[in-house]
Amino acid sequence: MKPEVIDKLRDIVGADGATDDAAELLVYECDALTLFKNSPDVVVFPADTEQVAAVVRLANEYGIPFLPRGAGTGLSGGALALEGGIIIELQQLNRILSVDAENRTAVVQPGVVNLHLSQAVAHLGLYYAPDPSSQVACSIGGNVAENAGGPHCLKYGMTTNHVLEVEAVAADGTVVRLGSKTGERIGYDMVGALVGSEGTFAIVTEITVRLLKKPQSVKTLLAAFRSVEDSSRAVSDVIAAGIVPAALEFVDRRTTEAVEASVYAAGYPLDAAASLLIEIDGFEVAVEDTQASIVDVCRRNNAFEVRLARSEAERARLWMGRKGAFGAMGRISPDMITMDAVIPRTRLPEVLTAIERLSEQHAMPVANVFHAGDGNLHPLILYDGRDADQVERIHALGEAIMEVCVGVGGALSGEHGIGVEKKDFMCMIFNDDDLAAMRRAKGVFNPDGLLNPGKVFPSRPSCSEVGPGVTRTAEAARRIDEYVRGAGEARA
Amino acid sequence: MIVDSRAVDRVLAPASAGELAEMMRSETGTIAPVGAGTELSLGNPLEPIDAAIDTRRLDRITEYVPADLTIHVESGVRLGQLAGALAEHGQMLPIDPWNGPEATIGGVVATNAQGPLRAVGTVRDWIIGMQVVDAGGRASKTGGRVVKNVSGYDLAKLYTGSLGSLAVISEISFKLRAAFAATASARLRPGGLAEAADVIREIRSGPLEPVSLVWAGPEDPFVAVRFGEHPRAVEWQLDRLPGEGWERFDAETESAVWDAVRDRYRALAEPVVRVAAPPSEARAVIERFRPESWLVHAANGTILMTAGVDAIARLRERHPTLVERAPREVRLQAGVFGLTGAEYDLMRRVKTAFDPEGRLNPGRHVDGERPA
Repeated sequence: MKPEVIDKLRDIVGADGATDDAAELLVYECDALTLFKNSPDVVVFPADTEQVAAVVRLANEYGIPFLPRGAGTGLSGGALALEGGIIIELQQLNRILSVDAENRTAVVQPGVVNLHLSQAVAHLGLYYAPDPSSQVACSIGGNVAENAGGPHCLKYGMTTNHVLEVEAVAADGTVVRLGSKTGERIGYDMVGALVGSEGTFAIVTEITVRLLKKPQSVKTLLAAFRSVEDSSRAVSDVIAAGIVPAALEFVDRRTTEAVEASVYAAGYPLDAAASLLIEIDGFEVAVEDTQASIVDVCRRNNAFEVRLARSEAERARLWMGRKGAFGAMGRISPDMITMDAVIPRTRLPEVLTAIERLSEQHAMPVANVFHAGDGNLHPLILYDGRDADQVERIHALGEAIMEVCVGVGGALSGEHGIGVEKKDFMCMIFNDDDLAAMRRAKGVFNPDGLLNPGKVFPSRPSCSEVGPGVTRTAEAARRIDEYVRGAGEARA
Repeated sequence: MIVDSRAVDRVLAPASAGELAEMMRSETGTIAPVGAGTELSLGNPLEPIDAAIDTRRLDRITEYVPADLTIHVESGVRLGQLAGALAEHGQMLPIDPWNGPEATIGGVVATNAQGPLRAVGTVRDWIIGMQVVDAGGRASKTGGRVVKNVSGYDLAKLYTGSLGSLAVISEISFKLRAAFAATASARLRPGGLAEAADVIREIRSGPLEPVSLVWAGPEDPFVAVRFGEHPRAVEWQLDRLPGEGWERFDAETESAVWDAVRDRYRALAEPVVRVAAPPSEARAVIERFRPESWLVHAANGTILMTAGVDAIARLRERHPTLVERAPREVRLQAGVFGLTGAEYDLMRRVKTAFDPEGRLNPGRHVDGERPA
């Protein structure tokens, strides 16, 4: 990058507001998806919207790629500077600008940490619902870019359901305000398009979010099963009973072993093939009853243990195991890839069986800990990054798992995004016409493609083969049966 | 067929998504997609059109998997038909737009139609995927068939509320929820604006979580509230309504309340606007403008009220305001959306990107007005 560009950037953000020091840039060569790395040429730390806009205009003037970055906790490479250029680090924009308790909204800057917002409004009896596992670190700006979810989006929806209005810097440097304070959409739903556009449409500099009333009562219970099938049936029966749990999480045996050997030990039964962590919330007068129904469903599906958290400390401990599961894997494996896919909830048993077979076939262990209520799987592929052969096999296994999930009518990602990680899987689901429509939308916001290039769209020029993702669930079921049988035969 | 006072001679009625795409491919003129025709005056005045696409034969529920809480329907399926299928399995799509059971689901989505049920989001919050056909007859899909999905851009958000100006919707996938285990309603006849506003503020700030909360006036004013929940939670909330004089209605009798609310919506004196004001400001807006009739979605702040061209301009100084139902002249003078600056420019680019020749519902959306 030309020194004059760095100088001009420093004119905008101040001498301390930019760095091109090789050692400092190391931090910015990837986000939480560490498998892909590339260094930006420079990182800037703007202090306000106007500085963001000025940096963007400068990047346009010189034709330099640029992209926003929040806390760098993303799992699909959304904050990876694939073509170098400028990373616009937004962590300095970390103020909660206002809280309107009566109308239950808050205006925040993009660098505000997700959990900090809930903490800041807790005294008002309010909270911010989207709660990705990284909520102690991740930023709300990043949540908006990726349309982040979390365990409680089963009942309360994703980020897109909670963003009312945004101020954003468009790819050409124009500052634009979209949406309204009430969430009413007048004209096209530009906020809806922007949320989940993975930092390829615009850079969000201010966000108005909806806050919710804290529920009167919360109950958390753990149910342990001897078979995955029993646990899956329990999940289906809870839903069939008309219960809308606040969260419904699945933890398999391998994950339990790792968790229980770690500092996150939560007392999950080691002899369970699968445990369900179920949370319900609502009015005091109702949750007791709902809880009894859930216990009943679990027992009928052969749960050998159903344990209720009797205090806030016990509840926190049960959640610690779930939320710490990814970290706990470090006990049993040097490296790990967190996959993300969604399947129709009813296909859980056969998909988990297929994943287990594929894991054996590729000789790579896979642990499963995920959001069972909405079928959002997170297969964790365990590997040793020092072994080049293992790294090679991850890609093949990852692709095979995605094929299984897509094959039953599923989706490539439930909450992590496509980014770099899955862009070449897009052809599994979308054909050229689908992608052309997406390109039109991108062209509206980011016509020159300088903002966050190389993301979302597949690198191959055409997806003319229609992927299996368009099939009806019934057809997909037949396909997966064949797949599972085929995988079994291949192994035999 | 008459669409927004434009006569159309040629009405095409495809019976499948394939037929729809084929028909669109052979069209070269301007096209107006039409469902059951319950919302045809929403949007800026339509320019002349060569053909209408009647979606009512696209009336199949293509797949319904109750255990997955998902349903996939063609755009011509009627709301009543959909609700009936879901009720058989104790499930629902929690929307109740004003245009009623005859409306097509495609029409409801294209107009982002809403009703009193507001506390659990609007239709946009329940869509998980969509298939559309563009002006050139090219079919495409966005989203998927599962309840949670961030694969690719969420174009369904753009198509929702786009008034058929970007593409014609052929199929929509929804996530669903269990029907309310119990419901009940209550109605209060407040003594004045202050009493109504106070009661609403107390309901909103306390522990109550109504699924509908409506305030109508000034003639025969009332505040109507509905709870949908576990039976004990419904009872508990009813017992804690603030103030005196609430008339209660159980699940059997509550339809009387909500039928009256619907009647009141239909009776709103034109021009009717939709004001996006925070809930706490509803009373101030009403006191300032003294509208001839109003209906407030008190849970989220949307105010439906009578307002002339001058009042619309003044409302827009403070709050985004949509012209919801108005004679052609008012829509022409005020502009239906009233958007400005960079937001207007971006939306204009959306229209150009998706319908470069301006053949889909020309003039209806932002292409029909200049920036305010």
